[in-house]
Amino acid sequence: MATESDGEEDTAGKLTGSQHLEVDDDLREMAKKAAWSVSSCKPGNGVLALRDDNLDTYWQSDGAQPHLVNIQFQKKVKLQLLVLYVDFKLDESYTPSKISIRAGDGFHNLKEIKTVEFKKPVGWVHIPLSGTDPRETFIHTFMLQLAVLSNHLNGRDTHVRQIKIYGPRPNPVPHQPFHFISKEFITYSTLK
Amino acid sequence: METLMVDRVQSSLRLFMYRNALFLCERLCAEFPSELNLQLLATCYLRNNQAYCAYHILKGSKMPQSRYLFAISCFQMNLLREAETALCPANEPNAEVPNGAAGHYLLGLIYRYTGRRTCAVDHFMQALAIDPLLWAAYEELCILGAAEEASECFNDAAAFRVQQQQLSESSSQNLTIGTECQSLPSSMALGSGDTSPRHSKQLHANNTRETLSHPHGTVMVAGHPPIGGPSNISQYYTPPAVTQLSGVAPPPLCRNAQLYLNAIGGDGYTKSNVNAVIQAPRRKFVDEGKLRKVSGRLFSDSGTRRSTRLSGEAAANTNSNASQLGGNGANHFSAKSLGGLSSSSSKTNSAVLRSVTLRRGQSWANENFDEDNTVTTSSMSALADGKCLEQDKMGCGISAHDSRLASGIREFLGLLRTLGEGYRLSCLYRSQEALEVYLRLSQHQFNTGWVLSQVGKAHFELVDYFEADRFFDLARRVSPYTLEGMDIYSTVLYHLEEEMKLSYLAQELISVDRLSPQAWCAMGNCYSLQKDHETAVKNFQRAVHVDSRFAYAHTLCGHEYVALEDFENGIKCYQSALQVDERHYNAWYGLGVVYLRQEKFEFAEHHFRKAFHINPCSSVLMCYLGMALHSLKRDEEALEIMEKAISADKKNPLPMYQKANILSSLERFDEALKELEQLKEYAPRESSVYALMGKIYKRLNVHEKAMFYFGIALDLKPPAADVATIKSAMEKLYLPDELEDTL
Repeated sequence: MATESDGEEDTAGKLTGSQHLEVDDDLREMAKKAAWSVSSCKPGNGVLALRDDNLDTYWQSDGAQPHLVNIQFQKKVKLQLLVLYVDFKLDESYTPSKISIRAGDGFHNLKEIKTVEFKKPVGWVHIPLSGTDPRETFIHTFMLQLAVLSNHLNGRDTHVRQIKIYGPRPNPVPHQPFHFISKEFITYSTLK
Repeated sequence: METLMVDRVQSSLRLFMYRNALFLCERLCAEFPSELNLQLLATCYLRNNQAYCAYHILKGSKMPQSRYLFAISCFQMNLLREAETALCPANEPNAEVPNGAAGHYLLGLIYRYTGRRTCAVDHFMQALAIDPLLWAAYEELCILGAAEEASECFNDAAAFRVQQQQLSESSSQNLTIGTECQSLPSSMALGSGDTSPRHSKQLHANNTRETLSHPHGTVMVAGHPPIGGPSNISQYYTPPAVTQLSGVAPPPLCRNAQLYLNAIGGDGYTKSNVNAVIQAPRRKFVDEGKLRKVSGRLFSDSGTRRSTRLSGEAAANTNSNASQLGGNGANHFSAKSLGGLSSSSSKTNSAVLRSVTLRRGQSWANENFDEDNTVTTSSMSALADGKCLEQDKMGCGISAHDSRLASGIREFLGLLRTLGEGYRLSCLYRSQEALEVYLRLSQHQFNTGWVLSQVGKAHFELVDYFEADRFFDLARRVSPYTLEGMDIYSTVLYHLEEEMKLSYLAQELISVDRLSPQAWCAMGNCYSLQKDHETAVKNFQRAVHVDSRFAYAHTLCGHEYVALEDFENGIKCYQSALQVDERHYNAWYGLGVVYLRQEKFEFAEHHFRKAFHINPCSSVLMCYLGMALHSLKRDEEALEIMEKAISADKKNPLPMYQKANILSSLERFDEALKELEQLKEYAPRESSVYALMGKIYKRLNVHEKAMFYFGIALDLKPPAADVATIKSAMEKLYLPDELEDTL
């Protein structure tokens, strides 16, 4: 799960970002299976910058708020964690301050599942997608939308340097009700 | 001048000075264009890893040796059809395969890689029939699953054949056969029409380099009278005197023979002089042959020769060599010997021969101390001896040498028998039996890289990863640069989750040979263990690129694609693996898993069954087959297979768990719980066991127990997905029954 340690939240419950990207071993990145799009961008700072594993390149929006990042999957997937890299020191007024996360089957029925606020974040911001209900560790959806509602210092456009999205790993042994965790089981559970 | 040039080229080749050899050889071919010289040039190119050059110069050549070399070049360039046509011309269905055993072996490989299994098996069998010591052919037969028991192949009849070959060879080839042979072959080849192909074929292969390097080494089989005498295998025919020169000498059956052999030993290896010899091609042989038929009288001459042999290196006589080559065998093998190249068969043969001859050599040495040195070219004696030998063999008592040869051969065959049986059993996945066979080896044979790797592999197949690790580790200690089997070792370390050891292994293998598929497989496994499947794919693809005939690289690549849920590419990889090796059960298993995931249950069952058919001892395969059957709702069969799996390997908990799962789906809850209780003892920290128990109790409405077991399951910290499922189940426990859903 997300490490919501001191590095990440300040006293008011707003996220500040941490140095390191810390993700549990039982999660894996889902982004490769998705189609990414943005509501607007400045030429040269498009959606690819969000996925290039390069923290120096960024996506810059170029239009009215809210700025949107759409992530669409071919089939319903389980998603657990969203991680953004933003940097107030470099981007100042371009840094997002309020973000809304929506999920649904498509553009027509997106529903907000979470809203987070940032306070001068520098680094990776981990946003778990579960609700307070422990049964809902994942969201099961076709599409995720990230909406930047406002920026720091009332900036119009926004910079986001990287986005990663995580879901649970599938069970290596197909059609099992539960995962195997002990050495004895795992050794015999697959052939290579 | 030609002789001189040929000699220099051959000595350069022997000393691995390929640039020199190539340059001089090109001058030679320009100055004295002939097919023999062309063959020599092709040999230089092949040694220098320039198969394409050899291909171009030999294209269209008709001589057997040229065809063989051409086929080798084609094979290395992956032009299998052309290689096949070269060895078996379409318009000459009855033409003999060049180089006998080596040729058949190469043909077998070609058929194997073009998917014609029966033909391949046929040719490998033929190769073994010609040369029982051709281990590589037996190995291929094992891989194809078509090998007979080792005791059938490496038996007394085989020993007899080998013995005959040895004897005939020693007389003829000895030295010349070595690289020198090039010129010889031409003469030989032209003449051939001999009846007795096989033995000679075998010979040459060995003759070449091996002979040269080894004073005693020449052992070729040759043995058929050039004069067109009957070439019965039973008739043991010693090739013309040439062999006298080499120290090797065939085993004398009687004193005469001994002398003869010694003589042969003499200038044997005059490498350089072969040319001269060659120059006096067949004709000389023929003459000599006739002469040879003279009986033991010649032995007196051989006395002197013996000393020459002893002084081995004295390589003075080309003549004898030449004549010898002229012998029937020569025809066949001279050409062939050129072709010797790196065919493994030749190596094995020569090695064998070498050991045998050494033994003989020793005995002679003891006996012939005081002879003076005279090198004589008496091929005649050789021949005569041969004849004598053969008669003696049948008739008179076996001399010490002969018996030494015989016992040497028997010993060697015995060794090959054990190794062969062990390898055959491992290829049939009867690993327990294979292990027992390997244990029969002597200490020093057992503690070699190859054997230890095989033992490690056998343990791997038995899913005993700890023992496998131990043996592979030993293998690495004994021969740190061995690559064979290291891909399996990396998988063993993967299963044991030994990250450090695995990355260390991978690094070492890469530093030993960056162009070996095993090194990249190990690297790939490293990344796979860290769940970085994309990089793992890249590494496995590199392994495939380096050697596309390495089935395991394809399979491992397939596994990674499946982990990335890219089923299309996964299937492609598994199919490539199966194209290389139909008996690679891991690929069948991989396909089964893909179809299971895609819910194509009939396909899944089919593929698991195929894998199971190949490896009937694997409890993991049985388990998966059972799972597929369960998905097809054929639960009775599924349970049967699970029982089989449970009894096959007591240490494997999966079948018991699956059995419980199936029973619970059949609502046989009490039996299911019984299994799970047993499992609890075996793997007390496995949350899925408790979770399943909780699920069952929930179905039985025994809420307290359900909660209790769900609680334990959660305490063991399963992954988040399970936590969600379990918690959700727990919540529903206190809800009215009608709200029961998924769980």
